[in-house]
Amino acid sequence: MRPSRSTRRHLISLLLFLFHSETACRPSGKRPCRMQAFRIWDVNQKTFYLRNNQLVAGYLQGPNAKLEERIDVVPLEPQLLFLGIQRGKLCLSCVKSGDKMKLHLEAVNITDLGKNKEQDKRFTFIRSNSGPTTTFESASCPGWFLCTALEADQPVSLTNTPDDSIVVTKFYFQEDQ
Amino acid sequence: MQSCRQRWAGPKRSTSCVPWGLPGAMFILYTFMMSVFAFAIQPEAHTGHCPYRGKHFKVEFRLEGELVVLRCPQMWSWAGISVDPHVNLTWRRNGSAQLVPAEEARMRVEDGKLWLLPALQSDSGTYICTVRNASYCGEMSTELRVFENTEASLPFISYPQILTLSTSGRLVCPDLGEFARNKTDVKIQWYKDSVLLDQDNKKFISVTGTSHLVIQDVAMEDAGYYMCAFTFSHGGKQYNVTRNIELRIKQRIEETIPVIISPRQTISASLGSRLTIPCKVFLGAGTPLSTMLWWKANNTHVDSAYQGGRVTEGPRQEYSENNENYIEVPLIFNPVTREDLNTDFKCVVRNTLSVQTLHTTVREASSSFSWEIALAPLTLVFLVLGGLWMHRRCKRRAGKAYGLTMLKTGCQEFPAYPSTIKEMI
Repeated sequence: MRPSRSTRRHLISLLLFLFHSETACRPSGKRPCRMQAFRIWDVNQKTFYLRNNQLVAGYLQGPNAKLEERIDVVPLEPQLLFLGIQRGKLCLSCVKSGDKMKLHLEAVNITDLGKNKEQDKRFTFIRSNSGPTTTFESASCPGWFLCTALEADQPVSLTNTPDDSIVVTKFYFQEDQ
Repeated sequence: MQSCRQRWAGPKRSTSCVPWGLPGAMFILYTFMMSVFAFAIQPEAHTGHCPYRGKHFKVEFRLEGELVVLRCPQMWSWAGISVDPHVNLTWRRNGSAQLVPAEEARMRVEDGKLWLLPALQSDSGTYICTVRNASYCGEMSTELRVFENTEASLPFISYPQILTLSTSGRLVCPDLGEFARNKTDVKIQWYKDSVLLDQDNKKFISVTGTSHLVIQDVAMEDAGYYMCAFTFSHGGKQYNVTRNIELRIKQRIEETIPVIISPRQTISASLGSRLTIPCKVFLGAGTPLSTMLWWKANNTHVDSAYQGGRVTEGPRQEYSENNENYIEVPLIFNPVTREDLNTDFKCVVRNTLSVQTLHTTVREASSSFSWEIALAPLTLVFLVLGGLWMHRRCKRRAGKAYGLTMLKTGCQEFPAYPSTIKEMI
């Protein structure tokens, strides 16, 4: 009795998953449902990696380069993107904390985002290209940009002073081939 | 209670405090409370064994004969640890109980960091840093590998850096840590494939006071191994420090203006039948990722216009033909009704560069009986019959002509009678 019940439960969760993933991408045609991995590195050549579940930017040497985090992207509109890491299982978001806006990594599936536009706004970033580089402004925290510190191995964060010389907001952002 | 607390500091022995007869939930609660206690109060807990908190995720790859400085991995999570006078920070090599001394020695601890003046290949190994103060104790290990300065070491010691073709960008001399505190004091020299890059070079500009090498108008042949090198004075002695960079050049994938190549402006369909109209978009070398493609009916999105689902958008397809990218989204009618004949269907494609639209209308095929299909075999029959008739006519004419020739040639011998010619045919 028990095994059959658990099989049924698994079947239901599988069906729910299939149904869920289908509904998550409606309207089906307009935007790609799949996520695409991008390589990201700042103009000072720092790449992203995880340290104690925190996203940091620094230099990865030789065999350490395998630690590099690719950014998983699902577009909502041509300039509006959801950004994630770890095969889209952790998504970048902007959360208000006092006067500051903080970059969070939230355990949500990137392909599930976009159903509730208002609720998922904190995961949305506005991409702007300028020459070969790209900046990412949070859609829910206007004026706050994704940035790295000048020093290596420091957390990736958000800044509202993108022209400040102590932060880097310009990134190279290319499809991983 | 006291003995339990002291034992907790060593995670392996902590289980000896667990009352095994209690249920699991009690055990978890108990362990949690003990850990809270252990952290919150007694300082004497840290006079004994310190818990091991893991290995630093990066391995440090350095060259023999150079100055190497290792940071305690726990300093990342606890900024300012080295300047705090209440923190006792010690280093030892894995497998050795002896602490690295703080006095003048080739390997010594200064400001909480492990200095190797200079590093030897035999220094390769794991080093353990112990951080201890009144309320905290922890150990973390970090791995150092020291290589001989040969080409074979390059894959280990090099930092990959990437620039985009036909743009200008910078290489950065990485992980300078201690040495770059006063960047103006450090004079960095840059080499490409072991050749010193000239200060007057217009293409490679070493920016003084920074650790950057700017490369103008990056070309494919700029890829390769670069080295930044400088000397660092410490304790009255000069030490070499180098970092190697492997530069890769990538071509930027540009967005292109999308072009809708189908459907046609009118589509014939019979009422009551199923119809699929694909909207096919040509992107060339452009990326499909940020290209949105959808259908509209009288300026309303198909999903909202047909909530019953009679007309729907099919799944989006992305594919390549001869290295050119295409995307396609079909509009599916199940079935076609009279209402569709008066609806303006529009395929819309949009990316960051442009918005393109293509209108299409559904026209009723006059009935389910298609004249085109019915007429095809009839036309074929007529053609065959016509062909046969022509063939016969030609043959008859050919025969007449032959008869006339015969007549002409034979007129000298026989009198010509048209009746006989007819009989000959």
